[in-house]
Amino acid sequence: MIILETKNLSFSYPDGTLALDNINISIEKGKKIAFVGRNGSGKSTLFLSMNGTHRPKKGEILFHGESMKYDSKSLRDVRKNIGIVFQNSDDQIFAPTIYQDVAFGPTNLGYPKDKVESIVNNTLEYVGLTHLKDKPPHHLSGGQKKRVAIAGIVAMDPELIILDEPLANLDPVGADEVMDLLNELNYFGKTIIISTHDVDLAYGWADYVFLMNEHKVISEGTPESIFMDEENLKTAYLRRPVTLEIYEEIKRRGLVKPQCCPRDIPDLVHSLRSQQLLWAKVPSEVKEGDYINLGILYGDYAPDSGYEAANCKVLHVHEDNLAIVEMERRPYRAGFIGIYDTSRYSKNELCDIILRDEIECVGAMGKRSKILAERDEIYLHVTAGVVDRSILNSLAGQRCLILTNGGMVCHAMKRIKGYMEKSGINIPVTVVNPEQKKPEAESTNN
Amino acid sequence: MAHILDDYAVLSPLRYKNNWLKISIVTFGLLAGVSSNSPLVPFLVAICMSFATLYFAKIPISFYFKLLAAPASFVIVSVVIIAFFFGEGAKLFSFDILGYTLGVSKAGLNMALLVLARTLGGMSCLFFLSLTTPMIELFSVLKATKLPDSFLEIAMMMYRYIFVFLDVAMGVKYAQSVRLGYKDFRTSFKSMVMLGTNLFIRSWEQGEKIFVSMNSRCYDGKLTILDDKRPVKFSELILTLVYFALVILTFYFTRGASVI
Repeated sequence: MIILETKNLSFSYPDGTLALDNINISIEKGKKIAFVGRNGSGKSTLFLSMNGTHRPKKGEILFHGESMKYDSKSLRDVRKNIGIVFQNSDDQIFAPTIYQDVAFGPTNLGYPKDKVESIVNNTLEYVGLTHLKDKPPHHLSGGQKKRVAIAGIVAMDPELIILDEPLANLDPVGADEVMDLLNELNYFGKTIIISTHDVDLAYGWADYVFLMNEHKVISEGTPESIFMDEENLKTAYLRRPVTLEIYEEIKRRGLVKPQCCPRDIPDLVHSLRSQQLLWAKVPSEVKEGDYINLGILYGDYAPDSGYEAANCKVLHVHEDNLAIVEMERRPYRAGFIGIYDTSRYSKNELCDIILRDEIECVGAMGKRSKILAERDEIYLHVTAGVVDRSILNSLAGQRCLILTNGGMVCHAMKRIKGYMEKSGINIPVTVVNPEQKKPEAESTNN
Repeated sequence: MAHILDDYAVLSPLRYKNNWLKISIVTFGLLAGVSSNSPLVPFLVAICMSFATLYFAKIPISFYFKLLAAPASFVIVSVVIIAFFFGEGAKLFSFDILGYTLGVSKAGLNMALLVLARTLGGMSCLFFLSLTTPMIELFSVLKATKLPDSFLEIAMMMYRYIFVFLDVAMGVKYAQSVRLGYKDFRTSFKSMVMLGTNLFIRSWEQGEKIFVSMNSRCYDGKLTILDDKRPVKFSELILTLVYFALVILTFYFTRGASVI
């Protein structure tokens, strides 16, 4: 069922700046909807049009299939059913106490006093603020204020609740509380619309996403379809959600099932492919429990040949000579990280090392090393987040070299060792040009 | 943000006591202090009210004396001047400065003590009220006085946004001072002007925003004003009456008497 619809909605401010350009959307009942766009893309203006504050220049807004009218009685009806929670709670909470603020809406709806009282008490209990009801708003934290603002709207029992940037300026815990509240409201049948530029939030939370840019809705759809489309996001000046970013990155390494669309971290973990088990075509005489020797394309230990042999245990034989086999060893091995101390730098030595150790990825940490590399035209593969990047690359089997100097050598070493301890994966790491026997001769170069 | 009087009042244990009782106690104290000719009555009021503020309202003693210190310092200066320059007749003691005789007469000293006592009594009454009764509670009292509703509503919103703008102002001031906006008199003056302009524009914008947000909640000219029924407890009534009686008796017996 569609609650709210806009048809060719356009709006410009009195000074002539265009704020909304030909918007056609329909909002379905009971959904969690996110409007995503960068700052100034027209989200807030659209919201104020939805509850009749802004009167469209062109087009119309349909509420329950009826065109919105702008006489005070119809507006009252619309505003009772479409509640807006503003971005800045201080714009909304104006009464001297929490109780009075939450009571504001119900009082205006003309409810009798005892009904107002019971509504307010129930709502405050619902958002968990009963103990603060006699406090003035300036004694509250940001998260509490946001919950009061939401309570003020919920007390009017609207069908549709619109929240403009609900998580702006909230700490993670406060944000979680607000999102929990929204999910609960949605569960009990309210339609929730939020605006945000936080792609991670929209991707993980919403059922349906509208992407806005330059006062237009540029695309709409399920979060998966919206956020997988790189081009779309680029036009909206947004980036891909972190979960998707991670997923793509590990997909490139063949560690996840393809065609997944993980919305959150458990999804992501679930999409990981079991590395030890794989399907293999086996001769018909193979039985369960046998060991077979499989050729693995581009294996880890025989870099010069296309195939590598690996022992596998047959767990289950399927029809058509297909079998599930378990590899007897970890399928990947760590690469190698070398650290080159540029306080003992010489170009020839470095080039020798790069050749000798077959370095595939060179990174520079610290301004000094970067300048040296630039001067001597040593190509740098990584310049930012060098240690992390090198760990990731070496995990994927690459040989990496980090150019750095002084205390950062120790720091990089510690960071890599720390990772090894935590993950249990061993990465060979050494300083490739260790201190010579005669340091005093070297130090004159510094 | 520094604690202001209203914050203590909001958290005060006496906040939820009957507002009218508190107001009548304070009014009584003020009237008794002003109409008495003897400093004893206002002193008694001051002691009782301070005791109530510190013991029943649990206001930290150091904070309370800091509060009292501001008016007290003024009073002490004026009391010294009054003592020396008021009153005719025999001097209790006197001394010469540059050929001019300065002295304290009996009447002057009496007058000085009375002023001191009245000020302290009055201040302690007012502090009692402002440290136990936040503005929020006074709105319901104001409502009962049949003030026009719109007046009250504006007062309520002003109260709320004083704190919002206080925060903004402190933020702006901090931002200015970290960029050396108050390094000397000239720049401080300039910075203050900018702060003021900024606040004015912001409050204008805030007004528009509130209007939109109130309209979004179907504003039709009604704000809820709390009027909780808070019956006066028997023990509170007795305590108040004992206090009244004590003050009246003192008043009666010190009618004609003077301290010195």
